[in-house]
Amino acid sequence: MVKRKGMSVLVCMLLVLTVFAAGCSKGGSGTADSPGGVTEPKPGTDTPAQEQTEITLGYYSDGKSDAKMKELITTFTDKHPNITVKTQSAPYGQFYQKLDTQIAAGKAPDVWLSDGALVMKYAERGTLKDVTEWINKDLNKEDYYGLEFNKDAEGHYWGIPQGIQIGVLYYNKDLFDKAGISYPEDSWTWEDLKLAAEKLTVDASGKTAVDASFDANSVSQFGLTFFSITEGWFSVLKSYGGGILDETNTKSIVDSPENKQAMEWIVDGMNRGIFTDPVDLKSFQSSMAVFPSGSAAMRIGIYARVQAANEAGLNYDVALLPTGPDGKRFAPVIANSWVISAKADDAKAQAAWEWMKFWATEDEVQKEWAALGEAVPVKKSVANSDVFLTSGANPANRQAFLDSFEFAGTLDTNAVWEEWVSKFNENAERAFLGDTPVEETLKKANEDIQKVLDGFYK
Amino acid sequence: MIPSETPPEVQKKKRRFQAAGRSRLLRSEGRWGLLMVSPYLIHFLVFVAGPLAVSLYFSFTKYDMLTPPQWIGLGNYEQLFQEPLFWKSLWNTLYFAILFVPIQTVLALILAVMLNQKLKGLKLFRMAHFIPVISSWTVILYVADSIFNPRFGIANSLLIKWGLDPQQWLNSEKWVIPLLVIIAVWKGIGYIMILFLAGLQSVPGELYQAAEIDGAGAFHKFRAITVPLISPTTFLVIILSTISTFQAFEQVYVMTGAGDISSAGGPRNASLVLMLYLYREGFSFMHMGYASAIAWVLFMILFSLTLIQMKMQNRWVHYN
Repeated sequence: MVKRKGMSVLVCMLLVLTVFAAGCSKGGSGTADSPGGVTEPKPGTDTPAQEQTEITLGYYSDGKSDAKMKELITTFTDKHPNITVKTQSAPYGQFYQKLDTQIAAGKAPDVWLSDGALVMKYAERGTLKDVTEWINKDLNKEDYYGLEFNKDAEGHYWGIPQGIQIGVLYYNKDLFDKAGISYPEDSWTWEDLKLAAEKLTVDASGKTAVDASFDANSVSQFGLTFFSITEGWFSVLKSYGGGILDETNTKSIVDSPENKQAMEWIVDGMNRGIFTDPVDLKSFQSSMAVFPSGSAAMRIGIYARVQAANEAGLNYDVALLPTGPDGKRFAPVIANSWVISAKADDAKAQAAWEWMKFWATEDEVQKEWAALGEAVPVKKSVANSDVFLTSGANPANRQAFLDSFEFAGTLDTNAVWEEWVSKFNENAERAFLGDTPVEETLKKANEDIQKVLDGFYK
Repeated sequence: MIPSETPPEVQKKKRRFQAAGRSRLLRSEGRWGLLMVSPYLIHFLVFVAGPLAVSLYFSFTKYDMLTPPQWIGLGNYEQLFQEPLFWKSLWNTLYFAILFVPIQTVLALILAVMLNQKLKGLKLFRMAHFIPVISSWTVILYVADSIFNPRFGIANSLLIKWGLDPQQWLNSEKWVIPLLVIIAVWKGIGYIMILFLAGLQSVPGELYQAAEIDGAGAFHKFRAITVPLISPTTFLVIILSTISTFQAFEQVYVMTGAGDISSAGGPRNASLVLMLYLYREGFSFMHMGYASAIAWVLFMILFSLTLIQMKMQNRWVHYN
């Protein structure tokens, strides 16, 4: 009897709590209303200068960039005495873990720094403010790199870039010299790259991949290190004429003959030990470490990789990424961007926009940030000046980053980007390690990716 | 007192009197009692029962944290049971537990018996076994990597020296779970050993003396006295280790992905355990509802396993 009474009390408690929880979440939904969740920005309604506005600004950073960011914020508040800025910063991983819970609780920062690959995740879930009108009104689009990388299929802009990451081919000059091979040229196709990589791949007994007795299982120096979507397969697929999603970003086009050709080129390189395969990468502390440690002669890398290469004291330079069989070229782009929370009221959103405008338009800000050397400046005039082009000794050919904008594109980012990328990786790994043939892999990847897309868009 | 012998009215009156006394008592003592336990009670309601109920609710919804939850009934559970990755992660977890629990329990017991002797330098040995327990998984990773790294590790250089084929160790589907078990046993054994030591020290010495007089050998004493008398400790150890294997997360996360969630659980999902699967679905892919469903299934599994173990204890656990 007593036992049953205890049970019923427990059940009652749970019931009450469930109802309470349901109530809470309903309350939450009330504030996160309308799937768009976007109150159109009103460019006309500038807040009167004397009215004080406080905005919360969130960003991820390491120690060095944190100090610089605080400096820039002080400059900003000096110029805009009516705006006070409260900052929230954390290292990359923690910042995003916290951000999602903050948004769920309706306590997101008014303006935050979004990884370029995640802008659409937030935008398509209605947590960002559409900044199209502001951009049209306040910015001359011709002056900036990469504004279009935050544009969705319907032409709305969801943020403005804080700094741009763009992919090029990095090569280790010392290893090329040692092998007696001329440096990569802009006219290279992926086949040319592989021919050079063969001569740059060395096994434990010092034989290169051109040698008949070369041992592909004990490679000590790889021709090309190859990993992830950004710094690996995506550029190859795209320059072969393939890709992952169609132009609406809601349909998988993985299972194409172009992709098959590109994947076969990759798998062949991995089987022969010329490129690092996923298992090779695991034996390094980090897949990023292969190139800076001198264990690979070439890598596909974004601009941020300059830092690690310079810290390692590497003698290296960069070139444009090679072309596919039909002369097509593709450079992957990640435009890390400032975005405004959909929850920010008009005054806060206006103040947040002032900050974004300050960031993008002021030469001083752009120069200061460029000096950190972690991203390509957004403003064309600064990127094309000595501040960017000759800052630091290496790489000498910084112009390659700017030239790559001509054939640059995003990573088919959409609301479920992380999830479909992991599905592709999971399948590609099987092909890379020779478990399944390329054709079968792409068919399975196509199904898996479409399922992920349907899970969100249908 | 035999009820039929007392008249009903008297009985009723007596009961009412007793009840009144009890309620007065309840009013004073009960209030104090409630007041005293209220810090715990509030903590329990806010941080345990609340989240539990919320997660149960979410498990019936499609919820990505950024948009409001949508009620989909049993949808998540249906999807879960059709998902090959869920079954794979369940099997990986069970495989881990099947290897880990017996190996750790037996080895820790043997170690505890050995370290229960009166020898010189005993404290040093006990401490040496306890050091991995207090080290973080990241430190353990570096130690394990220096042994099992396929390129630079000691294990492979030994294999090559003996003329055997080098292995991919943590990168091999065949080896990854057994290796994770070995590493986890090495890290956890010190803690379990301490529990056994406490159990061993509560066994009265007279029993052994009596057995010796009867001519029992060391093994016989161990089997007939030590094992039954520390069976409550063994029972506790088995339940604790079973629960800890189902909760294994950090070790797999660190060991197989070096802290990178996209490669953790590899190779080819061979070490994807339930908690890792839950984390990936919930925090990387934002399927919070689905992740809550995984959590509840995990809870049901653990609950039934513990229940079975509780029922079985009558057969082999002896309290005094």
